[in-house]
Amino acid sequence: MILHTMRPMKPLTRHTAAIALLLGATSGHALTVYTAGPNSLIKELAAGYEKATGVKVEVFQADTGKVMARLEAEAANPRADVVISASWDSAIDLHQRGWLLSYQSPNAVKVPALYKGPSYVAQGLSALAIAWNPASGTPRPQDWSDLAADAFRGKVNMPNPAQSGTALELLSGLQAAHGAGAWKLFGELKANGMNISGANAQALNPVLQGAKAAVFGAVDYVTFGAQAKGEKVEIIFPASGTVVAARPMMILKSSRAPSDARKFIDYVLSDAGQTAVAKTFLIPARSDVAARRPALDSFKTLPPADAQERLGRQSLLERFTELFIRH
Amino acid sequence: MLPHRSLLTICIGTLAALVVVPLLFVVLQASFPDLAQGSFARPLTHLEDTLRDPAIPGLIGNTLKLGLAVVLASALLGIPLGVLRGLFDVPLARLWDLAFLVPFMVPPYIAAMGWILLLQPAGFLQQLSGLHLGGTLFSFLGVVLVMALNLFPVVYFAVSRAVAASGSRLGEVAQIFGASPWHAFLRVTLPLALPALAASLLLVFAATIEEYGTPAVLASNVGFFVLVTGIEQRFSDWPIDLPGAAVLSVILMALALLAYGAQRWVTAGRDYETQTGKPVVRGARPLGPWQAPALLLFSSVAVLATLAPLLSIGATAFTGTLSGGLAWDNLSLRHFDALFAQGSAALSALATSLALATGTALLTGVVGALLAYTVLRAPSRSAGVLDALAILPNAMPGIVVAVGLILAWNQPWLPFTPYDTWLILLLAYACLLLPYPARYAHAALRQIGHNLEAGAFVHGAGFWTTLRRIVLPLLGPSVGAAMLLVFAIASRELVASLLLTPTGMQTVSLFIWRQFDQGSVGQGMAMSLITIAITCTLLVLASGLRRWSVRAR
Repeated sequence: MILHTMRPMKPLTRHTAAIALLLGATSGHALTVYTAGPNSLIKELAAGYEKATGVKVEVFQADTGKVMARLEAEAANPRADVVISASWDSAIDLHQRGWLLSYQSPNAVKVPALYKGPSYVAQGLSALAIAWNPASGTPRPQDWSDLAADAFRGKVNMPNPAQSGTALELLSGLQAAHGAGAWKLFGELKANGMNISGANAQALNPVLQGAKAAVFGAVDYVTFGAQAKGEKVEIIFPASGTVVAARPMMILKSSRAPSDARKFIDYVLSDAGQTAVAKTFLIPARSDVAARRPALDSFKTLPPADAQERLGRQSLLERFTELFIRH
Repeated sequence: MLPHRSLLTICIGTLAALVVVPLLFVVLQASFPDLAQGSFARPLTHLEDTLRDPAIPGLIGNTLKLGLAVVLASALLGIPLGVLRGLFDVPLARLWDLAFLVPFMVPPYIAAMGWILLLQPAGFLQQLSGLHLGGTLFSFLGVVLVMALNLFPVVYFAVSRAVAASGSRLGEVAQIFGASPWHAFLRVTLPLALPALAASLLLVFAATIEEYGTPAVLASNVGFFVLVTGIEQRFSDWPIDLPGAAVLSVILMALALLAYGAQRWVTAGRDYETQTGKPVVRGARPLGPWQAPALLLFSSVAVLATLAPLLSIGATAFTGTLSGGLAWDNLSLRHFDALFAQGSAALSALATSLALATGTALLTGVVGALLAYTVLRAPSRSAGVLDALAILPNAMPGIVVAVGLILAWNQPWLPFTPYDTWLILLLAYACLLLPYPARYAHAALRQIGHNLEAGAFVHGAGFWTTLRRIVLPLLGPSVGAAMLLVFAIASRELVASLLLTPTGMQTVSLFIWRQFDQGSVGQGMAMSLITIAITCTLLVLASGLRRWSVRAR
């Protein structure tokens, strides 16, 4: 059964209809892009693309969760052409559901194979790191386990993996790499008074102000951004390795302007597009475009998650929540 | 009577468009997991998955505990202040009204962040005085206090307007018959304000259990989670769980309905018509020797509820970096410079938000007043349903209303749709905020005697004339106060805006949120400060204009 039998409620519709007509809703020839932050990046990409192609870009920007919620709620009548998310899982899942248009951009040749698929390709990459306040009177940490030391008692924040997808990827990556060792570490961190705070920004602010000394699993490009604005904070990539989060771009199969959408992906992966990505302190997806911060080969990374690891995330989250929150 | 019937039709139609449509789709989404794909397959199959979560009873318990604690704290703050403001000639009364409105203009997550930056170890307070209140802030009590300081004005405005409307006449009569002033107050004046008080406490309860900002920013540090945190988690990352979120929202609505039932039960049979048309001496009584203590009370609450978070926001906006702290060489205007550099974007966001807030205040004010009138004066079987419907949106999390609106208005077969235009934001705000004018008007109307209208009819005034000349002017103070609250909240609404804002459009709240999202706390706070300043200026101008027009008449 389909929703066609349902009638809308009358009284307001005539008004709204008239005004909607006046507004012209969205004009016929615009490319609609749904994207997770940063705002300055999508602004620059949209402006550059408009200049190169003459096609206007209409942007909806929110966090990954809201972008995906809007996509999901709009499923009966999709409006987006291109989607940029901060969660690699979302691309894999949308691909498996058959929502995505297959496309290999000619500009994606230099994107490492790990960071592209049949219908999605990375826009840029970020890594999770330790954000450390050098004025906190604590020794400079070298690895995750240092944050379980006495010097950091009660002085570590971690973004809540139930609210931050990247934090969950870190947990999952550490468990895949170190198995029981990872849980031993989480237990020690818990015993050392590590605090689970809200989303990413809420974990970082107390470290900047000095209430806490370090963030376990800070998103690196945001922290580099804060550093560039003069905040006294250091970004340390742990010696035992960390997780890289790629931000996938994809074209919806339902797009009414697939050729414009392909050109948009091409543009983001062009020299100009990747330079714009680098400006936000993300690592450009293309390995031949220089990053404005330590590049991918300058720190140790853990292998990306495989299908089995992805499947185990829900139970991982439950176990972690049990350990930290519902003690 | 015909006008009554047409009134009922108007109310049903408007409520259907504003409230029933999103509500219906939330309930449908809670029942049919594949609704978003346009399918009614596998009804209720996800229910077990959602409700099996062992955390849910705890979340419901926490939600109730938080709601009741905030109601209690808001009552303790709001009732004394409201009674003083309503009965007595409190110096600087209009200033206090404005000051207590400011907490509404600050988005809750920013207020919570402000409190954290102020009170946590190494926060602004410690930088200034050497001590911090991190222990108190990061506790259940801290969460309750922060939320109550944000919400007590709902009680304050309701109580002060109700007490002022019934006047001190009956209390004085009681004193003439030998009651002590306290006795007269407790047995006469306070019970008279009961409908308004109960209505405002209901609003506080519903707003608390629906609120996302403070629990997300502050309570998650304490490990204190509520139903809304559970809902928000289902939206926070892949995979998105729309049906699960809808189920939890239905639980929230059930809690709000319970509270609504409790409010009905408490106020049943306690309508006292105090506005009977008898001339009343309107002058508020002087405070006499109590003036100084009263002023002290008002100013200390204003310092706590308004000034403290504003100071923290201001300190963040005017310092270059957080790590630099409150030092002279860290004083900087660069966050404001950065805002002005994006001038047109910031300006258009401001214009969008203010226009939407004005539209929402007018729309909900008119609809709320008509609705209260219909429910109370045109009794019918649908009246009770209409009344209950008008409180539900207040308990629905903004994000769930937003999903309901998308599901409803994004159907491919609709010839026209408000979706993806600014109208969808107006619909969302009006839905979420209608409860304020509706409850305020309802409470006020219960104090107005039927015979005033009857008198007008006897003298040949038509129905609409009576409504316009008698009822609406008497409702004016209460509905006006509610519209101010609506304006303040709508000018900074974030959660529904985040999901519904049309492509290419930006509201103030989104602008601020995007700054935070990129780690620019300072810029976000600067924009927040500018918005509060502009909103306050507009409100002062509007009230000046109103007084001027009254005098000119």
